Amino acid sequence: MINVVKEQKGNVLLVRLSGSIEESVNFDQLIGPPPGELHINCKEVPRINSVGVKAWIKYFQTAQQKGTKLKYVECSTAIVEQINLISNFTCGGEVESVYVPFSCSSCKSELVGLFKVEDIKKLNLNVPDLKCTKCSGKAVFDDIPEEYFGFLTR
Amino acid sequence: MSKSLLLISKLSEDQIFAAEAAKVAGLTLITVGTAQEGASVIVREEPTVIFVDTSSEAQYRELEKEVQDSVGLFSDKISANAIHFLAAEQLENVQYLIQSPLFGHFIHRTYQEDPVSVGQHYGRIVRATQADRAFGLANLMKENAKIQVVKIPLSSQKQSSVEAVRNYLIAAKFQTRMATLIANAVDELLMNAMFDAPVDELGKQMYKSTSRSTQLKLEGKSAVEMHLGFDGSYVAITAVDLYGSLDKNKLLAHISKIYTDEEYKVKTSVAGAGIGLATVFHSGGSFFFVSESSSRTEVTVFFKRYDSFRMFKDQFRFISTQFYF
Repeated sequence: MINVVKEQKGNVLLVRLSGSIEESVNFDQLIGPPPGELHINCKEVPRINSVGVKAWIKYFQTAQQKGTKLKYVECSTAIVEQINLISNFTCGGEVESVYVPFSCSSCKSELVGLFKVEDIKKLNLNVPDLKCTKCSGKAVFDDIPEEYFGFLTR
Repeated sequence: MSKSLLLISKLSEDQIFAAEAAKVAGLTLITVGTAQEGASVIVREEPTVIFVDTSSEAQYRELEKEVQDSVGLFSDKISANAIHFLAAEQLENVQYLIQSPLFGHFIHRTYQEDPVSVGQHYGRIVRATQADRAFGLANLMKENAKIQVVKIPLSSQKQSSVEAVRNYLIAAKFQTRMATLIANAVDELLMNAMFDAPVDELGKQMYKSTSRSTQLKLEGKSAVEMHLGFDGSYVAITAVDLYGSLDKNKLLAHISKIYTDEEYKVKTSVAGAGIGLATVFHSGGSFFFVSESSSRTEVTVFFKRYDSFRMFKDQFRFISTQFYF
């Protein structure tokens, strides 16, 4: 079940999504009529199923067609996977930042690091290692670069 | 009919893989290098199972021609249920296999570091297909696998079942991201069993346009079960329905369709999204579909546990189908 926290910042409506996006989602009710500029924070979206994807595209595509400027920030790994799998998942919007998955080489803990898309491009997709928050060991990027960052190269 | 597994391939990795699969399935391995030699063995020995390297369309066409010229594509000496295509390409890049009347099983040749281990895993699938009916999760897993059966009485309980699977996997030391991805696969299988499988007497889908958030009672013919098995390495989850309405051509069209280049178009005439199975396959899952017409369908998804998500996503995978009419 998804929850939405809305915050108006000047002309921009920022919506923070939290929870799984599945068949019960109704973006029309949750977000309302699309404003001129909409920023979608996806940090707390752990999962989205196929019907959730369909609802997502239906809402944001309609918004984009009505002239709404869309920007996706702090995209969770689940959202990044969909951006990679479905070419029009972002519905013409800009992806500003994404969470990147890491795994600690020592204690095997999972971590995520937030990166701006522009910075990942500057790094030629070679994101730097992180320091594990649990054991201070070296945490390395844990996915297939060509796939996880596929949306940046197409 | 001899109890044998015919391998048509010149690749040594295929030979290691097939040898292990044959051993687990209790079949004698016969290896040949060309489709012509393979056709001779089919005529002479009538092998129980055929593994064939179809990495290129030319290889597949050669097989098709040799089979056609020897026993005929629709002969009772050859059945799609017994044919396993091996290819290095992703499924969406081998449309010549998807469209083949011989399609029964597709093995993506990603043996990774260990064709022996994956051969044993796949051998259990092959062994299951030797039975009168290939139903039952226990037949697909190691003997030590623990299997739980969950009956789902209402469609509204799907999400809690999905979350329960996710929590179980996290407790079983799957990375959170892996557990979430597998839970999503379960979500798709259950949704298909609840909303896509039910058909009326004419075979027409009953809930094609029904919102997936509708609460359905899942009883009698509409009963849906989830079976979950874990052997310490592989987790497998089966969604069971009693309609036996799975359509192979539609299934293969859905599962091989990708939207990385072309746009996904929202169809408002149908309530489903049509992208669930393809997403699961792209995420590292393997499928075993078994369907007996008008009686029962079991769809099982397999994932192996790895320490790293990178290896998890790149794991050995297959799509296996058994249809009984």
